[in-house]
Amino acid sequence: MESYDVVVIGAGNGGLTASVTLAQKGLKVLLLERHNIPGGCATSFCRGRFEFEVALHQLSGVGTPEKPGPLRMLLGQLGVLDDLDLVEMKDLFNVIGPGDFRLALKPDRVQVVAALQEQFPEEREGIVRFFDMSYQYAHQMLSVFYFKDPDPSREKYPVLYHYAYKPAIEVLDELFADPLLKAVISSYWGFLGLPPTRLSFAYLAMLFFVYIEFKPFHLKGGSQALSNALINRFISQGGTVRFNCGVEKILVGNGRIEGVVVESGEKISARYVVSNASPVTTYTRLLDPETIPEFLFREMRGRSLSPSAFVLYIGFDCEPQELGITGSMNFLAGHTDISDKNLLDMQRLDMGDQFMALSCYDVADPDFSPPGACQVSAVALKYGEPWLRVPPGEYHRVKFRCAESMLQRVEAAFPGARNHIEEIEAATPLTHMRYLGHPNGAIYGFEQYTKDSMFFQPGRSSPLPGLFFASGWTGDCGFQPTLEAGAAAARSIIRELAGQ
Amino acid sequence: MRKEIFKEFDGYQELVEEREVVRKYGLDYSPDKDAPEPYIRRLHPKRLELRVADIIIETPSTKTFRMVTQDGALPPFLAGQYLALFLDIGGVRTGRPYSISSAPNQTGYYDLTVRRVEQGLASTYFHEVVKPGNYLQSSGPEGHFYHNPLFHDRAMVCLAGGSGITPFMSMVREIVECGLDREVFLFYGNRTLEEAVFHEQLRYYTARFSHIHYLPVIEDPAEGYDGLIGLITGELIRNTLKEMDNKTFYLCGPQAMYDFCIPELEGLGIPRRKIRKEVYGPPTDITRSANWPKGVRGDDLFQIRIRNGKTLEARAGDPLASTLERQGVLVPNLCRSGECSMCRVKILSGKVFEPAGVPIRRSDRRYGYTHACIAFPLGDLEIMV
Repeated sequence: MESYDVVVIGAGNGGLTASVTLAQKGLKVLLLERHNIPGGCATSFCRGRFEFEVALHQLSGVGTPEKPGPLRMLLGQLGVLDDLDLVEMKDLFNVIGPGDFRLALKPDRVQVVAALQEQFPEEREGIVRFFDMSYQYAHQMLSVFYFKDPDPSREKYPVLYHYAYKPAIEVLDELFADPLLKAVISSYWGFLGLPPTRLSFAYLAMLFFVYIEFKPFHLKGGSQALSNALINRFISQGGTVRFNCGVEKILVGNGRIEGVVVESGEKISARYVVSNASPVTTYTRLLDPETIPEFLFREMRGRSLSPSAFVLYIGFDCEPQELGITGSMNFLAGHTDISDKNLLDMQRLDMGDQFMALSCYDVADPDFSPPGACQVSAVALKYGEPWLRVPPGEYHRVKFRCAESMLQRVEAAFPGARNHIEEIEAATPLTHMRYLGHPNGAIYGFEQYTKDSMFFQPGRSSPLPGLFFASGWTGDCGFQPTLEAGAAAARSIIRELAGQ
Repeated sequence: MRKEIFKEFDGYQELVEEREVVRKYGLDYSPDKDAPEPYIRRLHPKRLELRVADIIIETPSTKTFRMVTQDGALPPFLAGQYLALFLDIGGVRTGRPYSISSAPNQTGYYDLTVRRVEQGLASTYFHEVVKPGNYLQSSGPEGHFYHNPLFHDRAMVCLAGGSGITPFMSMVREIVECGLDREVFLFYGNRTLEEAVFHEQLRYYTARFSHIHYLPVIEDPAEGYDGLIGLITGELIRNTLKEMDNKTFYLCGPQAMYDFCIPELEGLGIPRRKIRKEVYGPPTDITRSANWPKGVRGDDLFQIRIRNGKTLEARAGDPLASTLERQGVLVPNLCRSGECSMCRVKILSGKVFEPAGVPIRRSDRRYGYTHACIAFPLGDLEIMV
């Protein structure tokens, strides 16, 4: 029987950074991935002459070489920074619609405030206060939890103590009157999966802070370039990776991890397992539920599954300017309603006037697509549940119908776009379910309702000795958090081994 | 231990209460409830177990294999898609893609129409070994060659060569049987009329339905033949269609046909986005490709060392995937044409030849990955599977 120090299940962001961190420490690591390519969400696929980016819109926490952010530092520690061509994006985001409304925001605090004030002169003071509060919140949060102030108190950190659990909508209602401004300023909710009625202000504040302070980035070659760089590093550090090799079972004996069984039936022994799979899969399918303490299921029962997404990947036979696309990150707003209506929109199959994101990577990186061509990915968050109920024989018809309604929205924002389509591919919640293996195709793991967010997440540890988690299911979602989660899980194992 | 200060934040108590309530009425994550696999299997099964229900002789060199399933319904497909058949031929496990020639509305079976190719390993196996009642394993429906209502035109101009007729047969059948609002101009190139598969049925459709135009193009016509002759040239297409606007062009046939027809279409001013091409396997003789290095002959033999595995002998003219599977090294595969990327392997040292236009991810190229089904060794190699 082959034997390893650690088996890592899944080569998504968390699995990859965990593997590299462990291999760099000289541990014997086996990374198992059921697909033929690493990355999970951080991947790409080819159609015709296009290579489509699957999931990365704006990489956060990178920062410049002069003022590096936490992610740049992590990539440096992982030894892959020199292998990556990071591209700084020149815009924070653009809002297109409703109607003729257009607004472009740059990733600079002064410019964001000025642009918003110019557009909403009546709300000048509220805008300043919003960013003051967001920054105060971010600074206080970092002082306490990142720089670990040994003696925090309500007096020292009033914004943190007061606002940590406040829904974003309360802050927006307190500061602003114009519903359009409220909608514009909360656009990033789409990155987190819950509308401002349900999302805590803390998330919105932190997102503005990291994107403005460390700038949004992209990668040449897309997120696949990052996944490939990490695998390359892992192999060069002596790690073993097996693609096309799913895990069937995690073996437990004497109350701790003993190894895994792979698809072929082969047993592999290991002292530790890092699961990049969801805890739902890990606890109910990979492990024998009998061996799992009851409180874990009770805890999971309270969490709900995040939306999945309907995505159109479109390759155009012209430059973005010809289509009128001037921003790399765009939000298509069909209305200014930021209420729970958005949850209902996500529960329907069709697009209607639902809030959408649209990225065009070629704006920031003109050679992302072949010369004279460009690509966009248009995303609408959609719960997976309704798609599970579509009869298989109707699937293609429903998929085309939803794609058509989304394409009409893209055309409304960029007239004439349809006449330049050279390639198009749609991904439904079932597509995400297929490739990620997540229940209901949930792209953000469990939902980030405040009761389940940040301080209430289970994190990398598990009650089963030897089992650790590294994914957006047990912490925050997104590229930066999941990449960090893998490294953190690995460090826990390294610490534990050092203590023995 | 550090104090848990988040318990002191405003609203903490309310969150704890909310959590307790929700846990009482929350979701059921028990193993069999809405697990992804059963839903995915209905659309994209990893493997299908198919039974040959019937074999229909189409022409002296072409047979249709009617495949049914024993367990549950067949996954739906789009007219034009293919199945990869996983075969065990004399101990060699290999795979071959075949377009489904039956219509997607015909949900009871998949028809696979196979033309016998000289020295074709799989087609010979189908024609000589496979009998009704045999079981064969396949992938689910795959591929991107279909009418896409999002941006393709109502009018389809189809260019088929030889057995490249099969995806178009599925499309035409669906259009006729489902009364779809589409017009089809189907140019079908063959050396002789006898080789044209589905000739009678297509003639029947074209006589019966005004929106189906079946146009055989025969290179070497017998006496008395009064249809189109020669190759499918731009001139022939223009003379037949008159109007080129608002039409999408679809091509399915051997590489030689693409090499000839695509420049012809471009010569007619058809924009790239209006030309759709089905993958059709590696060229019969790769050494005749443009850019094939002069110093290497098809019969040259090289060593392939697999990291943590055996060392094999490989012919330069054989795709890496075929060499590997002949010697018992299995690489997953579907399209056998470089498109699907299932057979992605890493070249650790040495050089391979890939024909122009194989879609390999940019960062895969950087780190030396290739698609084994369309990569040919140009020297000794070390690879990682």
